Amino acid sequence: MAACLIATFCAFASIAAPAAPPTIFAAASLEPALDQMARDGALGSPAPRLVYAASSALARQIENGAPADIFISADERWMDDAAKHGAIVPTTRADLLGNALVLVAPADSHAMVDIAHGAAPLLKVLGSGGRLAVALPDSVPAGIYARQALTKLGMWDALQPHMAMTRDVRAALNLVVLRQCPLGIVYRSDAVSEPRVKVLATFPGDSHKPIVYPVAIVKEHDNAGTRALLAALQSARAHEVFRHWGFDVLAR
Amino acid sequence: MIALDLALQRGEFSLELALQSTARALALFGPSGCGKTSTLLAIAGLLHPGRGRIAIDGRVLFDRHTNIDVPPAQRDLGVVFQDARLFPHLNVRENLRFGMPRGAASRTFDDVVQLLELSALLKRRPGQLSGGQIRRVAIGRALLRQPRALLLDEPLANLHREARAEVLKHLRGLKREFALTTILVSHQPDEVGALADGVARIDDGRLAALEDIETFKASTAIPTALDTPIARASG
Amino acid sequence: MLLTHAETIALALSFKVSLVGVACSLPVAVGGAWLLARTRFFGKSIFEGLLLLPLILPPVVTGYVLLIVFGHHGPIGRLLDAAGLSIAFRWTGAALAAAVMAFPLLVVALRNAFESVDRKLEHAAATLGAGPWRIFFGVTLPLSLRGLVAGLALAFARAFGEFGATITFVSSIPGQTRTLPIALYELVSTPGREGGALRLTLVAVIVALVASLVAALMLLRGGTRPDEAEA
Repeated sequence: MAACLIATFCAFASIAAPAAPPTIFAAASLEPALDQMARDGALGSPAPRLVYAASSALARQIENGAPADIFISADERWMDDAAKHGAIVPTTRADLLGNALVLVAPADSHAMVDIAHGAAPLLKVLGSGGRLAVALPDSVPAGIYARQALTKLGMWDALQPHMAMTRDVRAALNLVVLRQCPLGIVYRSDAVSEPRVKVLATFPGDSHKPIVYPVAIVKEHDNAGTRALLAALQSARAHEVFRHWGFDVLAR
Repeated sequence: MIALDLALQRGEFSLELALQSTARALALFGPSGCGKTSTLLAIAGLLHPGRGRIAIDGRVLFDRHTNIDVPPAQRDLGVVFQDARLFPHLNVRENLRFGMPRGAASRTFDDVVQLLELSALLKRRPGQLSGGQIRRVAIGRALLRQPRALLLDEPLANLHREARAEVLKHLRGLKREFALTTILVSHQPDEVGALADGVARIDDGRLAALEDIETFKASTAIPTALDTPIARASG
Repeated sequence: MLLTHAETIALALSFKVSLVGVACSLPVAVGGAWLLARTRFFGKSIFEGLLLLPLILPPVVTGYVLLIVFGHHGPIGRLLDAAGLSIAFRWTGAALAAAVMAFPLLVVALRNAFESVDRKLEHAAATLGAGPWRIFFGVTLPLSLRGLVAGLALAFARAFGEFGATITFVSSIPGQTRTLPIALYELVSTPGREGGALRLTLVAVIVALVASLVAALMLLRGGTRPDEAEA
């Protein structure tokens, strides 16, 4: 009896439902930019379903068969991992965007720091109890870049005991917005999208591996519709929106 | 002096009772379901009458008119429930002492234990006691609260013959020793005959008659097993 | 099965955080459970809903609320900071997150335990002169001990495994807030660290199994005790 009901429901659902919109799994920092593009219709119609999370979580889900059509990772490592597990179509992989790493503080902060002279200025701002908000430095791309930059600049060891490590970069941004932390390290795109924080310094591009957002089509989802969506993400209109939100557009 | 005037509704059953008795030991007598246990619970403060007044020896325990409703803990009554309700997590000694007022003489404890022949049982748990023993502990516990009045709900119910005789003997002993105002609930004439001075007959939630013990005995057939020469002599 | 130094720290921290969290949760849960089991008052259903809220809300939301309230500049956080008792980014904050998330489990278990105590015994205690406190500590609580222990075991397991609220409220700070579940999450999120993840998972499974076993033993052997007085 239950089986009949379920079968009937499935049949009805598949007849009644329109074709499901395409799904993009994207790193959390892409949220404002992609949302705007979807709203403006720049990503085609019906607007794609946008799923945001840490690149690590997204990669693992795709590797385990999550129904995504396109994957945009915040770092190459996780795209490499997905490729290693055969979860993406390698020929469709491209470097979509670039970004920069910045040090932020709450918008009304009076802190002035210079990252070229070691950790002392930052430690001064942190004071006795303050913490530096950073995404998890072993697993979250923003955290990995932060660790590289701080290590290159000789500040990692001094700052590490004073860090509050968050689940993803948006949580780190939030801690600064909520004034729980006097300083944070996030992407330039995050700082641009959040008026309640201000950029104190930008980490030099050569202090960390280039921040590259690779994009690829997920295995078994390679079709005309997905290719069109991929093209839309690389169109001039998309470029404009990405730049507006603080990203660098990378040449194909 | 026992003054009861109460009306109580429990589901479909309604109880309306008004009586005054100077009997030291008053029995509420009647068949099962006539409302006698409910009356006892109302006197104890565990049931709340819709209206009425309850006073024992001049103390008003409940009066709807003047909004008096003394909480059960402060009614100063010793209640022996039909299901004994000994605390299973405490041994006999701890059960007995549960209601003892602070600073009570330990002599009192020893006296009651001796009177009820409980000395050998003090370390046991309720689960290790026979029916009669459980009853005796429950009576002792109520007594050791040093209450101003005692309420007994079917004290001899569900006991086999020897246990009944045993408990009855102790109750009679207590009556002699302590002379407490007592209200006794029972549906068994022999129990009533042995322990009460006055009887309120209750039927279907109403008072059918209020009699002294002689009148009661004369009008009720009492099985001879319990009607021993001692009982007859002390009347 | 050896753990790395960092993993051992995370494990020890988890025990500390969970034990303290559940211990702090207990008195509040006892009070809440007693109110639900033994009293009636206007708005009781809403009260019950509030107590169960952490069970229903996504843990991240609960963590966020804790951050707003107990973090720096929060209404309670600023008082704590002024008194030098700040819990933001400290193990005490992690303990609070664990306490809040385990609380509903404790309330439900305790309520059931209290309700299973025969009220007739409580009435008998009342007639013997016991006030509400004495009735609770002298009769209700001792007779609900099994249910209480079972509830504690379950609450401990929940506190031990707490992740979302903790990482949102106090982030991950080794030695302070990086509990076992957070360490596990970090390992799972790093490609190539599956070995460590497996080790920590095994530890977590063992803790959960022990807790469930304790709870089951208590509940199976519980109920009416064989030596309860029969009328």
